[in-house]
Amino acid sequence: MSKSTILSGTGLSKKYGDLEVVKGVSLTVNEGEFVCLVGKSGCGKTTLLSLLSGLEKPTKGKVSLDGREITSSSEDELSLFRRDNVGFIFQSFNLIPTLSAWENVALPLFPIKMTNEERRRRATELLGKMELGHRIEHLPSALSGGEKQRVAIARALVNHPKIIFADEPTGNLDSSTGEAIMGILNRLHREEGVAILMVTHEDELAKTANRLIRMKDGEIVS
Amino acid sequence: MSLRYMAKELYYQRRRTLMSILGLSIGIALLIVLNSLSLAYRQAAHVPLKEIGADITVQRSGDVPKELAGPVFPCSAVTIRKEEVEKIQKLPGVRGIGTGLLLWVFDPNRAWIVLGIEKENSIGPSLLRSSVTEGRFLEDGKPEALVEQAYARQFGIKVGDTISVAGKKFPVVGFVDASRAAKIAVANVYLPLKEAEDLAASSKELQSVSPYAPGDVNLLFIKADQEKITGLASEMKGILGEKATVATPDSFLKLLGSLFALSDKFTLAASLIAIIVAVLIAFKTMAGNIAERAREIGVLKAVGWTNRNVVSQLMSESVIQCFMAGILGLLIALVASFGLSFMKVNIPIPWEMSPTPHFLPGGGDQIFKTLRLPVHVPWNLAFFAIFLSIIIGGVTGGLLGRHISKIKPSEVLRHE
Repeated sequence: MSKSTILSGTGLSKKYGDLEVVKGVSLTVNEGEFVCLVGKSGCGKTTLLSLLSGLEKPTKGKVSLDGREITSSSEDELSLFRRDNVGFIFQSFNLIPTLSAWENVALPLFPIKMTNEERRRRATELLGKMELGHRIEHLPSALSGGEKQRVAIARALVNHPKIIFADEPTGNLDSSTGEAIMGILNRLHREEGVAILMVTHEDELAKTANRLIRMKDGEIVS
Repeated sequence: MSLRYMAKELYYQRRRTLMSILGLSIGIALLIVLNSLSLAYRQAAHVPLKEIGADITVQRSGDVPKELAGPVFPCSAVTIRKEEVEKIQKLPGVRGIGTGLLLWVFDPNRAWIVLGIEKENSIGPSLLRSSVTEGRFLEDGKPEALVEQAYARQFGIKVGDTISVAGKKFPVVGFVDASRAAKIAVANVYLPLKEAEDLAASSKELQSVSPYAPGDVNLLFIKADQEKITGLASEMKGILGEKATVATPDSFLKLLGSLFALSDKFTLAASLIAIIVAVLIAFKTMAGNIAERAREIGVLKAVGWTNRNVVSQLMSESVIQCFMAGILGLLIALVASFGLSFMKVNIPIPWEMSPTPHFLPGGGDQIFKTLRLPVHVPWNLAFFAIFLSIIIGGVTGGLLGRHISKIKPSEVLRHE
């Protein structure tokens, strides 16, 4: 693994019963790189993302994140590792409906010992960068789809991750809002230097990435 | 654990929070009310004895002379010998004894129920001192009498009159209101114990069936250590034999006949059912709530919450809900107890404890002590209920939290 490699998956397979969803996949993502994983629905992209981010364990193969082999880590070790190194953006936003925008952003910080003022300061700063400074006290139900996804992006950034995993981040948005979200992700990648591994089934969106990996039937085809 | 997250979760999910709180609070209220009611019956059962300053009364039943003439003992209260009284006095747990001598006196043209009482004793019928309505109480060493107020009115007896009991003259020095006093050992005429002893000792009829010597009595009023009452009752029966009648608060409780009064086991069983129902309600409601939040738990784990973080968060929510349920349950119980405290209870006084010849007017009537049921919620029960609510919250939250924290984020976050 080269020094600039932040994420590495080697010979990854995932089986659910007899069904092999990911078949011996190997890939790497370098520091600050924006990689897009494209393919049709059901080709195994999301499962591969789950394996690489430590949300799920592979049936075979190994994953190294920031130089640490995580495949054999316990669930709690993986949680702590994700808290310190990884950010997530989901297609359906996955915001907590009872928490305000800034509290959703600060969610990864709740178990960490720090003052509430500090949590709020960090969350508010990020929401400001997402042009949501005026919406910090709003509940998710009072936000539009684009605003919800921007809150989710801020949440992914609050712990200063080395890599962000984005699973169809524009899948639930109209095209113009989707473009705006992609603009934010590109800006993050450019300005913050954070690595991004994004899953999408839209080739058009993937064009903005540094590298494109195409999947078909659980295998990387190009 | 985030207090902010907990507070918002409970506030914004008001409906499910309220459902959990209401369900458990009903169980807690039931537990408190059942125990308060049981305690109230126990306290009520103490009243007849308490009014006479005793925890236990002791009598011995025997025979009545064939011919009812002059002073005789009622069949429910024959001689208790001086030596037997001394033995009882020495039993561990006995804190004090009061004595009395109850006689039926059959004069040619009138029948009296006469009670010989000690002049000074905080245990037993000497407490009548506070029920004198006219005149004064008995003085030491004087052959004088107190007459029950209603009886005096019925027969036109006045303070200052002289009455003749078994041929002996007694000036009436006062009236007592027996309706205000204890319902046990009620008499028409109250004499100094010494005078009653002389009447009993000189009665051939009485001596023929129940040998009597001055110093013996036929009523014992005993003050005892509360926790030793049951044990003492059986020891006294051992001293006085099979014919002894020993009355305790428990024996009055049995006379009440209510389910709550019947036994501690009923209250315990009912309380356990109330707790189990409360726990099941809390468990079911919270299990439903937590299952609805599976996706949310998945998000928490994905963004770095450990299993322990998740469990402590859910546990804190559960503890707070159950604590609030405990407070609400206590409030409901306080209101219910206040309502129940207006209930009246009639405690039957056995004929043997206040015997009246059956052929006299009202002689066979059942006597009752009627009082308001003293229902209240004791502080220790209130604290126990709150503590129990918190424990239920902790256990429920902990178990459900442990279960749901095992969820795999990838399983619940996989998009549609």
